[in-house]
Amino acid sequence: MISLHSIAGGKRTVLLLLALLITALLLLPESRQEPVLALGRHMAAAVSIPLRALEWVNQGIDGMWTRYGTLQHVREENFTLRQEIARLRQENTRMHETAAASTRLRDLLELRERLPYPTVSAQVVGRDPSNWYRSIVINKGAGDGLAVDMGVVTPAGIIGRIVKAYDRFAIVLLLIDPNNAVTGLVQRTRDEGIVEGTEKGLTRIKYLPLLSTVKVGDQVVTSGLAGGFPRGLPIGTITKIERREAELFLSAEIAPDTDFAKIEEVLVVTSPRESTQLPPMPFPLQPPARRDAGDQR
Amino acid sequence: MKVAAYIALVLLVIPIQIVLLDRISIAGIRPDLALVTVCLIGLYRGEMETVLAGLAMGFAQDLFSGGALWGNLCLKPVLGLMAGLARRNLVNLTWAFVLTLMLGLSLLSGSVMYLLKSFAGSGTSFFLSARGIILPQACYDAILGLAAFKLIRLWKPRRTPLTAFTYE
Repeated sequence: MISLHSIAGGKRTVLLLLALLITALLLLPESRQEPVLALGRHMAAAVSIPLRALEWVNQGIDGMWTRYGTLQHVREENFTLRQEIARLRQENTRMHETAAASTRLRDLLELRERLPYPTVSAQVVGRDPSNWYRSIVINKGAGDGLAVDMGVVTPAGIIGRIVKAYDRFAIVLLLIDPNNAVTGLVQRTRDEGIVEGTEKGLTRIKYLPLLSTVKVGDQVVTSGLAGGFPRGLPIGTITKIERREAELFLSAEIAPDTDFAKIEEVLVVTSPRESTQLPPMPFPLQPPARRDAGDQR
Repeated sequence: MKVAAYIALVLLVIPIQIVLLDRISIAGIRPDLALVTVCLIGLYRGEMETVLAGLAMGFAQDLFSGGALWGNLCLKPVLGLMAGLARRNLVNLTWAFVLTLMLGLSLLSGSVMYLLKSFAGSGTSFFLSARGIILPQACYDAILGLAAFKLIRLWKPRRTPLTAFTYE
């Protein structure tokens, strides 16, 4: 029976002999090592396949690590840049707001200089607390010399009149409210009528003479006969004329020159009749170019 | 303490209504924050408190309104009282109930305001008013009321168990 131990011992001897042979082959001069080298090349070619794969994996890991490092840096940079963009956007918005406010205030100042009546400038701070009336709250009141029935204007035209004046606030009923009425004048034909608000948020001039030659596109201004407005302030442009057979008067729909949803600063005419000399057109009309441009768009 | 809290509430709600609510208006329609507040007071605190709060809020609202009528002063306590009475006879305060109540009370408020304006001489069409103001505002009020109710629930969880025989 063959002993396992003797086999193992035989194998060790064979392995030792092989090692000696390889060492002897390696010690041979290079010219004599050709068969070994040929075998080695095949071996190397075989090994190179997983090697390349591993190298690719290694490069991938290396790249990933580098990218991770870079990403970490980019992330921080991105965060900083985002913060910077947010800050710049905020600054940009603020500057736009300041520019818009300065334009509005300049227009208001120009209007104030042009109007030959004492005025008080005020800011709109709120809207009517219900949906039933179209009014605004301004930050000036009886303490600033304002009183009920005083007219309120913007560079675009009249916007309404004061209906309640508290010490530091006043409520202005807008021209587009059906409860409001001012005396108006068709600028071209000089026909007078009563301008009042409609349910649609527009205005209408009533009681025009039946034989009036008023037409669509005519400008309507304040007549200055009654109420808190001086003569010649723009109200709006006639968009539709209503002729009814049974009625003795004409009425016409007016598109107001003012955008009532965007009123921010106003002037209150505190004394429309203080000036002794009333020019025929004290307030140079602002052409409704902006509205037309907006409509065309 | 309670009086001071109600005064603070009135001083907070009305300025918010005047100054800030325009920012959340949809097609020019703003919710009536005072109505929602009064109804919620009625639901949570009872009739007496809501009537007093309604009087104060309605009065403040009318002071800053362009109208010459005292419609809100008359309406708000009544609406609060109705909310309080509804709550008294209620088994459970659910979101569906709050939504329906707010919608109903807002519709009622709108209709009464229309009638008051009509009697005062502003001859506007009811159909136009209903379509343009009453209905949209009622929907807005109901949604706002429901949102406020849910917020209150988060802050102050329900104490009564949800059974059909439970009365508070």
